[in-house]
Amino acid sequence: MADIEQADTAESQDARKRLMRTGRISPVYFTIALLVVVGLLFYLGNRNFLSLYNLNTIISFSAILLMVALGQTCAILVGGIDLSVGGLVSFISVVFILLIEPLGYLAYPACLLIGVIVGYINGNILTRIKIPSFIATLATGGILTSLAYIASSGAGAPRPVNLSPANYHVVDNIVNGRLLNVSKVLYIGFAVLVLFYIILRFTSTGRNIFYVGSNIKMSWMSGISISKTRNIAFILSGAGAAITGLLISSVRYGGDPMVGNAYILNSIAAVVVGGTALTGGAGGVINTLFGAIFMSMLDNGMNVVGINQYFQQAILGAMVIVGVTLTFDRTKTPIVK
Amino acid sequence: MTEVSSKGGTLNWLRERFPASFAAARMWLRRFGILPQILSLAIIVGVFAIGTKGKYLSWANIQTILSLAAIPAIYAIGLHPTIILGGIDLSVQGVASLCAVFVGILLKNQYNPNDVGLWIIPISIAIGGAAGVINGLLNTGLRIPSFMATLGMSWILYGMAVLIGKAVNVQILDARIESFVAATVLGIPQIAILAVLIAVIVQMVQDRTRFGRYMYAIGGDEVIAKQAGVKVKGIKIAVFTLAGAIYGLASLLLACRLGWATSRMGAGLLFPTITAVTVGGVALTGGIGGAKNAALGALIVTALNDGLVLMQVSPYIQQAVNGVVLIAAVALTLDRKKLGFIK
Amino acid sequence: MSDTSNGANQDTVVQLHQITKVYPGVVALDRVDLAVRKNEVLGLVGENGAGKSVLMKIMIGLEQPDEGTIVLRGEQIALRNSADSIKNGIGMVFQDGSLVPNLSVTENVFLCHEADFRKVGILSLRAMRDAARELLAQMKLYINVDLPVTEISSAERQMVEIARLLWLSRQYGQENPVLILDEPTTVLADEERNRLFSILQDIKKQASIILISHRLQEILENSDRIVVLKDGRNVTEIPAAEAKLSRIEQLMVGHTFSTDRFQEDEQVTPRDREILKVENLSKAGFFEPLSFTVREREIVGLVGLVGSGKEAVCNCIAGLDKADTGDIFLGGRKLPGGSPSAAVRAGIGHIPIDRRSEGLALMMSVAENVNLLVLNHLKTAGLLSPVREKKNAQYWISECQIKTPSIGTLCANLSGGNQQKTVISKWLSSRVRLLILDHPTRGVDVGAKDEIYKLIRRLAKEGIGMLIMCDTLEEDIGLASRMLVMKDGRLVKEIDSSSHNKPAPQDIIGLIV
Repeated sequence: MADIEQADTAESQDARKRLMRTGRISPVYFTIALLVVVGLLFYLGNRNFLSLYNLNTIISFSAILLMVALGQTCAILVGGIDLSVGGLVSFISVVFILLIEPLGYLAYPACLLIGVIVGYINGNILTRIKIPSFIATLATGGILTSLAYIASSGAGAPRPVNLSPANYHVVDNIVNGRLLNVSKVLYIGFAVLVLFYIILRFTSTGRNIFYVGSNIKMSWMSGISISKTRNIAFILSGAGAAITGLLISSVRYGGDPMVGNAYILNSIAAVVVGGTALTGGAGGVINTLFGAIFMSMLDNGMNVVGINQYFQQAILGAMVIVGVTLTFDRTKTPIVK
Repeated sequence: MTEVSSKGGTLNWLRERFPASFAAARMWLRRFGILPQILSLAIIVGVFAIGTKGKYLSWANIQTILSLAAIPAIYAIGLHPTIILGGIDLSVQGVASLCAVFVGILLKNQYNPNDVGLWIIPISIAIGGAAGVINGLLNTGLRIPSFMATLGMSWILYGMAVLIGKAVNVQILDARIESFVAATVLGIPQIAILAVLIAVIVQMVQDRTRFGRYMYAIGGDEVIAKQAGVKVKGIKIAVFTLAGAIYGLASLLLACRLGWATSRMGAGLLFPTITAVTVGGVALTGGIGGAKNAALGALIVTALNDGLVLMQVSPYIQQAVNGVVLIAAVALTLDRKKLGFIK
Repeated sequence: MSDTSNGANQDTVVQLHQITKVYPGVVALDRVDLAVRKNEVLGLVGENGAGKSVLMKIMIGLEQPDEGTIVLRGEQIALRNSADSIKNGIGMVFQDGSLVPNLSVTENVFLCHEADFRKVGILSLRAMRDAARELLAQMKLYINVDLPVTEISSAERQMVEIARLLWLSRQYGQENPVLILDEPTTVLADEERNRLFSILQDIKKQASIILISHRLQEILENSDRIVVLKDGRNVTEIPAAEAKLSRIEQLMVGHTFSTDRFQEDEQVTPRDREILKVENLSKAGFFEPLSFTVREREIVGLVGLVGSGKEAVCNCIAGLDKADTGDIFLGGRKLPGGSPSAAVRAGIGHIPIDRRSEGLALMMSVAENVNLLVLNHLKTAGLLSPVREKKNAQYWISECQIKTPSIGTLCANLSGGNQQKTVISKWLSSRVRLLILDHPTRGVDVGAKDEIYKLIRRLAKEGIGMLIMCDTLEEDIGLASRMLVMKDGRLVKEIDSSSHNKPAPQDIIGLIV
């Protein structure tokens, strides 16, 4: 029954006209507009919001969030999602502190490697055992959370793991402090941002992530290796989460096995609100940059203005739903499950 | 007929000896689709019976397992119809927390004069159901994929719960439901009987009502079902509502069993519930499995964890084991033909 | 020529009058008349694209005619959706079947109409089972009605669907329902086919049947009347008794095209060197062992109707499917089966039939789609160079005359023809050696079609070998220098089609029906 299926039916011409209107404006502009508007609202609520000190806080927090959000961007771009980032951030935050004692500066690359391995495992569960990413990463996230608990205190209740002052120099030299009056965290954040940007826009594997997310069947038929592309996407996600874990522990001089929980929601919100579509194949690193800044601003602003901290989570949930509704590519699936 | 020691050999021997009954038994098991679950349960019981030198099989322990499995079973019975439809419901944690908070506020407590007594039962169910309705509307009206809609709702509901409950732990002073939860009838925990009752009712609805069959039709092939005249949107909303309502009931029971209503009650519920559902044999691809599968799955997971506790395995290793079990169960039950390319 | 316009005939159940359906760029149906009489089997024949499926879609309410009327049992009606048509006693059994896979036979038969079996809201499974068994027994089908429909054979599934349609018509009080069967025998073995036709003779006593099949012999033997469609128009209508196979074949084909429609002057002689060699390739259920070659500069047309297996052959060559036996050699080297990436690396390109879902990343730009296969050649210092990407995209856009506002325009915003050209240029830029074209001009307007023909001619001149499947026999004949005729999974004949020796469609049609 496929005789005239391909014809330029009146329907598809209409759809095309609709797309031409909205498809021209990149979602980033909406995010920036949202940023400005909400920023002004917070300012009206509390003048201190736009103080230099506060802005500094916002930017620093957004840099840390950005790392895991960049990784999440890759997972979502390829058409999946990574719900294990929370567990991974927690796990790395604890393990990093534990590894500084024996490994010193090498704890940094070691933890990065762990993030890469976790991402690789996630990717393989997806491609080899063929389990949808949201279940697979839900499961691995749970495993990682429990590993974080064990690492922090064996069989007892989870508790923070503090860095012994003897080792403060390790984190101070790399992460803490300022260079040319800009906090080092920002430099690191910027460098990682540039790295992700280059990978996604200027390497063929990065480009393949977009192709696979946009049309997986076409990518397969064109000879792109779906499994390799997905593995790379989830490896990048693992790496991003690991960097966030490293930064958090460095800044706080200690690890906390519960710290990662909030990052699942925050990373997805940053990606989605930034304009990357959950359907995959559209969006990117710059979108997430503004999304992360927005999320950080929202978080900070709500505190400054005095909104209940827990209510904030509800607002985030609502934003995610709104963000998904606006960016979801409905031409892809006639049935929404 | 030679004596064969391997299981396969015994089965074949049986098949040759009693062809008619063998075929009938196979047909029955196939129809009910729970053979792997019964085998798994047998293996678990066997392993732990040996590992704990029989302590596992003590009547007290079996009572414990039944009692502990009941509430997760009810949660699983609530969640699984959304999976049969081909979607999923990740909002358990949010709904549970919200219901817990309301239970704390409305039942007799030390902070306010409320004392709704047994009215809390329909109230809790209604709150859960309302959340479910919203889930259904987000999925069918705004066309947000169910995993995203319910995940977002979970966060929203959780936030609302903490906002309303103000992070206060409320002790429940109305002991009626609590005593119901703790009581036993003829040695069997009442709450387990309740769980079985709910399973039977839901299974009957699934097998013998049009609503039930349409649920499976949508999970089997939504496009064809729609063409045949199935009111897909309405049924989806109804299923999510039913799920939420059942969560409401389960959350009430859970809060009363704990004796404390806290806004954190929902934390960590999602994982075991999904594990129970998939271990029970409900395929993520949809269209397969029923309430009996969900309940059996909860029983198996509880039996497993109980055994691990008896053998003094660290609780955090337990969670890791559960994670592996989840992945294995999903992998084994997926209908690969349906998947095409997985996301 | 026909008496299909006699609407006042007592015996007529359904009368389609002057039905016209136009899609942008193509007239699918042009003032078609069709009358279906009581207790008859009406055979509907025509090439792919003749308009059979559109006409049937209109009859069951899935499409609305732009002009024309439907008169049902004397009254003019509008069929707004498939539920409307069922209520009026018109039902269709599709080729792919429309049964819910995980439900049982019983449940499928009575889906959405179980009201009669309810007692206090609960369904009586036994009553349903008995009723189902009875219905199927009337069609001489005795199966376990509790089995999920995935576990019964395709023939049995077809029977179940027919039983359901008949039962539904009875439910709605329609006395002489119209049953449309779309290519029912493609999935059947010989005995099953005979059984189907004997049952149809039984059913005929209480219904009218429209039989669509490409197998003319079957149509001749089992129909009472035969209607031929061509290019969306009625060609003729003959009582089966008077029909001759050859005459029908002739009527099915024979379009008038301007000379050189397919730029036959541009056709080049193939070189002697082989690009593709297929040896003893077979796939159970699709096609039997066959062998052929394609040479450099050669355009080989694969022709065949439904069930011929030609699509499956192309899928195996492109690596999308794995063949059961045989080997594929490209440029002398053997290809591992079932791997699209191996095929692409070897130099095989595939222009799929569905460009939107298989050919393009719609939400990405033209440039990104065009450059997809050659990213590794557009790098400087290991990284993709925007400058080189732009140059490559611009080159191919102008070479293939893709009309787009800019290279950054999303492919979703292009017209069908330009989308197709984008797909072609993607493969062109990667220096393919063998290109498989699956209905390359489907859904493309006339002007773009010409441009695509030009592209195809150019490809041949540059030495690329092509395997092509077209929408009409004329297109196949016009473009190809050699034709491979397939029918029911077998390679039946090879026909020369060099520019001075083109066969006529009539010569081929007899081989594929």
